[in-house]
Amino acid sequence: MLKKYISIMRSAALASLLLCGASLAAQTTAGGVINGSLNNTTGISIQFDSDPAGVTLGAAGTNAATANFGTVSAFGPLAAGVTRPSVTAGNFTVRTIFDVQVIQGGLTSTTYTLTANLAAPAPIGMSYKVDAITLTTALQTIQINGVYGTDIAHNLDLVILTAAPGAGGPAVTTPITTTINFTATAN
Amino acid sequence: MKKVMLLTIFAALMMISSAAVAQTTASGTLTVTATVTGSINLVFNSDASGLALSSGAGTNAATLAFGNVSAFGAISAGIVRSTTATNFTVSSAVDVLVTKTNSASANYTLKAQLGTADAVNTWSVGGVAVTNAAQSTLTATGTYAANSNFPVAITVPFTTASGTLISNTINYVATAN
Repeated sequence: MLKKYISIMRSAALASLLLCGASLAAQTTAGGVINGSLNNTTGISIQFDSDPAGVTLGAAGTNAATANFGTVSAFGPLAAGVTRPSVTAGNFTVRTIFDVQVIQGGLTSTTYTLTANLAAPAPIGMSYKVDAITLTTALQTIQINGVYGTDIAHNLDLVILTAAPGAGGPAVTTPITTTINFTATAN
Repeated sequence: MKKVMLLTIFAALMMISSAAVAQTTASGTLTVTATVTGSINLVFNSDASGLALSSGAGTNAATLAFGNVSAFGAISAGIVRSTTATNFTVSSAVDVLVTKTNSASANYTLKAQLGTADAVNTWSVGGVAVTNAAQSTLTATGTYAANSNFPVAITVPFTTASGTLISNTINYVATAN
């Protein structure tokens, strides 16, 4: 009876060792092969970022952002990030600052040219400037030596006539929206 | 066969070229929104016939200093003086300029009020008595974008001791009609 018990115990121990050995062996022989491939294509991308000195952009970090000046007037209070560089008898200017970042990959280009245009004619009594360049529906060059991979600040000015609505001035108390198209081209 | 080869190579070159051009430009749109509201602004200017404002001309926080005044002594140019049996009044022309923007308002109402009560002296602006108790209407039909003279006057009793400093603040409010 004892011999039978010892025999069973030996068998069990041997089986355990074998299992253990098999497990150890499996852990030290793992291997595999990956066949990787990619097509390295060149390109650039543009995104708008909020500038610390400007209004907070909607959809910042994308190429389709929004900049809301809020309520603006020649003499009243302005939203944070909006300044009023000038007030004359005929018009006043409100300004915010936004950043443009252009990233390139796979190009030998070291700089880019930034152009902009209005998507549609400016609303009555309003004109739009980027870095002092008055925008129209035709492409205009904003910068010719933009550096890749860094936020570059640009002034966005709204020049607003002081005339009353119907007398050449803009509509009041209703949001006026305009879209500006930007294009970055590798130099 | 040769033609086919040439056409194939040309097509390949065209594809590479167009791909390269497309990849070196990037576009984005920034949508800009603003809501314009009408506003008016008030500033004080020195009037040619009155004292020059001591400070703040062209702003909405100016100072008018009459200097030393008396019932019968010498008086500075720009000050108009009148005397009764019990007091004397000194006044100086002061221009108020109200401008409007983005507004169809035809005119404005101008009111004034003393900053602190003065139980001794009498103050007036544009011929209208001004106190600390309530706003006084100086005009209900002010003209925009034109300097309008609203003389500031102080009536001082003869009982006032020599060397007494008289000082107060007059708050003006223009409201678009």
